[in-house]
Amino acid sequence: MRRFIITALILIINIVLQSTVLNLIRIHYVIPNTALIITVSMALLRGSFEGSLTGFGCGFLLDIFFGTSIGYYSVIGTLFGYLAGKFNHGFYKENYVLPILMCFFSTIIYESVIFFTSAFFYGYLNYFYFFFNLILPEAVYSAVFTIVIYRILFSVNEQLEKREKYKRRLFSIKK
Amino acid sequence: MNFFQNYKKQLLSIVIIVLAVLALVTAGKKQKATVFDNAVSLVVVPAQNIVSTVSSWFGSRISSMRDDTDLNAENTELKAQIALLQSENKRLSLFEEENKRLSGLLEIASKYPGYKTTGTNIIGKDPGNWFLNFNIDKGSKDGISSNMVLTTAEGLAGRITESGYLYSKAQSILDSRSSVSAMSLRTGDLGVVKGDYTLMNDGLCKMEYIDKGSEIMKGDEIVTSQLSDIYPPGITIGYVKEVVRDDNGLTKYAVIEPAVDFKHLTTLLIITQNFQKDVSQ
Repeated sequence: MRRFIITALILIINIVLQSTVLNLIRIHYVIPNTALIITVSMALLRGSFEGSLTGFGCGFLLDIFFGTSIGYYSVIGTLFGYLAGKFNHGFYKENYVLPILMCFFSTIIYESVIFFTSAFFYGYLNYFYFFFNLILPEAVYSAVFTIVIYRILFSVNEQLEKREKYKRRLFSIKK
Repeated sequence: MNFFQNYKKQLLSIVIIVLAVLALVTAGKKQKATVFDNAVSLVVVPAQNIVSTVSSWFGSRISSMRDDTDLNAENTELKAQIALLQSENKRLSLFEEENKRLSGLLEIASKYPGYKTTGTNIIGKDPGNWFLNFNIDKGSKDGISSNMVLTTAEGLAGRITESGYLYSKAQSILDSRSSVSAMSLRTGDLGVVKGDYTLMNDGLCKMEYIDKGSEIMKGDEIVTSQLSDIYPPGITIGYVKEVVRDDNGLTKYAVIEPAVDFKHLTTLLIITQNFQKDVSQ
């Protein structure tokens, strides 16, 4: 329950910052996709189930405030959380290389999915133009942001896991 | 928890299918926020409000520090401009008097009545990089509904696409999904003002479907036309920056510099009148 509340709080803080402060630090007209970074990091730290829940939460908030339909960003977020969670097993969570690479490539795939399912129909036709002018800069920027966000989520997760372990031990002693 | 673990894949695929169907069904048709949306917005909107106020305060502080040196020069220039405008204003108000008198004699209602407006703040901008939507801090609580028109003192800014209880989603005219039926004030040539990604980031937009024989040229003022069922006629959109002939040679398009400065936009005026309803009634 504590984990659920803290994750929800992180998502809400994220959408608020993403829609206000992050717009002030656009580079080459592009801002990093922090919602996706949080989804992927969470999935890597905790696995598919929590990854897809986080992805759903991020997408749902985006749908509410900036989408034109119910569920578009939620679907994409859920899928990304689930797929990124597949890499949860067998990697050292202290190592930053996998999260950074994962966020880099998933940003490219995420924006390409948005391009072919939404933007394409609104008159964005030339994929390669957008690949070099929007998707690639955004992926690089996101990869840089991953270092900070993954660090924060990692320590939050560590604190929560410590607490959970402690509780479990108490429980077993009582038993 | 065990239940979730056992049927993880089935549950996930059901959720995804339901959401995908919902997304397809509601795409572009959602004009009112649902109960869920409003519940979540009760938490998020106040936070957005605070953060955007604080950040715009800091932003204006920083830019005012930067501008300090130019202030004196600007001040004298503005004073001269005020004097000019005051004399112009006097002249125009005489014209208005005369216009009123004459149209009273002729018994015509004024073509461009004053619209009722209410002010609003931008509290959030789209965190994605494809589109240009924003959130404003007025919703159905203040009588705002979708398809109301957003302007500033300078000209047209966009329209409202969806209204929640405390907030509304709006779309700027630079967004590539937006299209506004427009007219050149000088020549009367019609066209459609659309957003374009390559121009959007420079704060420009495009006027398409201009007739080949039209005499639109650089500097012409573009206003909304009578043909639109969302926008009222006669609102300034912007000025022509450049006229380009299309590849097919049959039509032209013009690059428009909007009268509104979208880079430094924080407050807007909503025209609280739904023009779309007027047409259908």
